[in-house]
Amino acid sequence: MSDSGNKTGKLVMVSRATQVKEAALATLFFICAFVAVLAVFLIFAFVAWKASPLFSQIGLWDFLTGTQWSVEDNIYGIVPFLLGSLIVTAGALIIGAPLAVLTSVFLSEIAKPRVRNIIRPAVELLAGIPSVVYGFFGVVVVAPLVARAGGGAGFGPLTGWIILSIMIVPTIATLSEDALKSIPMGIREASFAMGATQWQTIYKVVLPAAKIGIIDAVILGMGRAIGETMAVLMVVGNAPQLFAGINAPISTLTSQIVLGMSYSSGLHRTALFGMAAILFLISMALVLTVRLMARDQKRKTKKKDKRL
Amino acid sequence: MHRIGTRSGTRPPFRPGTRLRALCHARHARLSPCVAAGLLVLILGASCVLVAGCSGDKRHVDSITVSGSTTILPIAEQAAEDFQKQHADTSILVSGMGSSAGIEAVGVTHTADIGTTSRELKDDETQLDLDMIPIANDGIAVIVHPDNPINGLSTNEIRQIFAGRITNWSQVGGADIPITLINRDEASGTRDAFATTIMQNAPFEIDAVVLPGTGQVREVVTRTPGAIGYISVGFVAPRFVDTPVKALIVDGIEPTEENIATGRYPLSRKLYFLMPKHPSILAEQYLQYVLSSEVQEGAVRDAGFLPVISGNLNLPTGSTSQSSGDK
Repeated sequence: MSDSGNKTGKLVMVSRATQVKEAALATLFFICAFVAVLAVFLIFAFVAWKASPLFSQIGLWDFLTGTQWSVEDNIYGIVPFLLGSLIVTAGALIIGAPLAVLTSVFLSEIAKPRVRNIIRPAVELLAGIPSVVYGFFGVVVVAPLVARAGGGAGFGPLTGWIILSIMIVPTIATLSEDALKSIPMGIREASFAMGATQWQTIYKVVLPAAKIGIIDAVILGMGRAIGETMAVLMVVGNAPQLFAGINAPISTLTSQIVLGMSYSSGLHRTALFGMAAILFLISMALVLTVRLMARDQKRKTKKKDKRL
Repeated sequence: MHRIGTRSGTRPPFRPGTRLRALCHARHARLSPCVAAGLLVLILGASCVLVAGCSGDKRHVDSITVSGSTTILPIAEQAAEDFQKQHADTSILVSGMGSSAGIEAVGVTHTADIGTTSRELKDDETQLDLDMIPIANDGIAVIVHPDNPINGLSTNEIRQIFAGRITNWSQVGGADIPITLINRDEASGTRDAFATTIMQNAPFEIDAVVLPGTGQVREVVTRTPGAIGYISVGFVAPRFVDTPVKALIVDGIEPTEENIATGRYPLSRKLYFLMPKHPSILAEQYLQYVLSSEVQEGAVRDAGFLPVISGNLNLPTGSTSQSSGDK
């Protein structure tokens, strides 16, 4: 930090015109950056405002703990969707996270450059596939397979897990590869010098060193999974019921919002905004966790540096 | 190069980054006035073009938006396409978002010139002051897998099945296969019509798979032996799909065109255009075109629906004359 010196960017030996230009550009960049902040704030304020009648008309407790959702009867309990989102996300993580982390280890530790240059773009390309295409793939290919294996129509958590776990691989794999690559080469060399094999080096040295970064990656992957809408909507069956088996249709917060928003009105719409607010809080909590962990890690490494 | 050299002396030294980064920085420093001016021109230019483009469009091309029921989409789209071929400089944008969304678009938000709905209006929607013009007849077919030995059910049996009280085909005389319910989402006009005619507003079984489109319901029933679903008769055997489904006989009455037109088939309904009381000229022309025999015998039949009028141009049906009388 200290070597960057003159941080305010004031130019001393240039003309006034240049200074004005620099200032104007700085302002422009600030405005661009501020748009994001403003957007987040406005969206949250809007969602919260739209959801606020919930407190008086449904009651927060009934809303959060009610297990029945029926628009016809004006009963809005979101436990089925909270649970649905949780089940779908957890399953996707259980399948997808190991897949992605092992991919990243392979890319960063094992693969030769030529292999890496094929696999890495392929993984990155996965992130570029629109989610409706994943959903389509799920409906046309995965759901019939699941139906053949387990009966029913093939819509449910299992199909959702399979599709979502593929979708979160690029997020987790690229981020955790970054984490692995940031581990200094010297650590690996030291490990090899001690006579450790490659597997021992990866398992005992590199992975523990990159632990925080990898957990970050998994948490962000979780955020992606919980917020995923279109693909999930197409494959989970959207039945507002509690978990009834991996092959029985369930619904999630996101898919229910999409299904409801086009026609909802009154209390129903309020409930949908309430669900949106909860999604917002969940992803905020996830981002916050990542931040806190990063800060913790920084503090720890600083302490270590001091000790040394 | 000379300039960059002197400048880097006054600037804080960069952190040891890659050469590329330094290069970018140097170039940026030299081009910054151009970049700034360029950005400004770009933004201004873009907004000018946008504004000009929009106002220009309105002057030269008449445009209306038709949105609503996905059931009516194929009719409205085909008619719009042909209409635009016959009338240059007109643009008819058709979208399908569900009947409820269509009603809201034309009646509340006024984002559409014509709304389309495959269900009757609800109480609060009738106060929106819209003309409701039937443009086609439709029946809802209850569909099962073609290998299902069941050929017909009573309305009561169908209700019991969709309410979750009958859960196995053997209970209605079929094979011993559990019934897989396929339902539509609540925004669907087809679901609404099904709920009022068959369910008589008894609650649906929540275990049912909820799918947001007619095509998807059909697709899933095609490949699931125990499935039962409901779709517009128009989609039971569409032209471009060769996978079969079986439409059930309901209360002993087959879902034939005749039975639907006469209303004998229990699951008959009408498809409507919703117009504001003072529609634009283009919207009025488009409506007349949809009601013409060309569309009624063409696009409407092609989509598997039944014409509301046969061969008789400009002869409005009951509810149209009523509403035009209101004017």
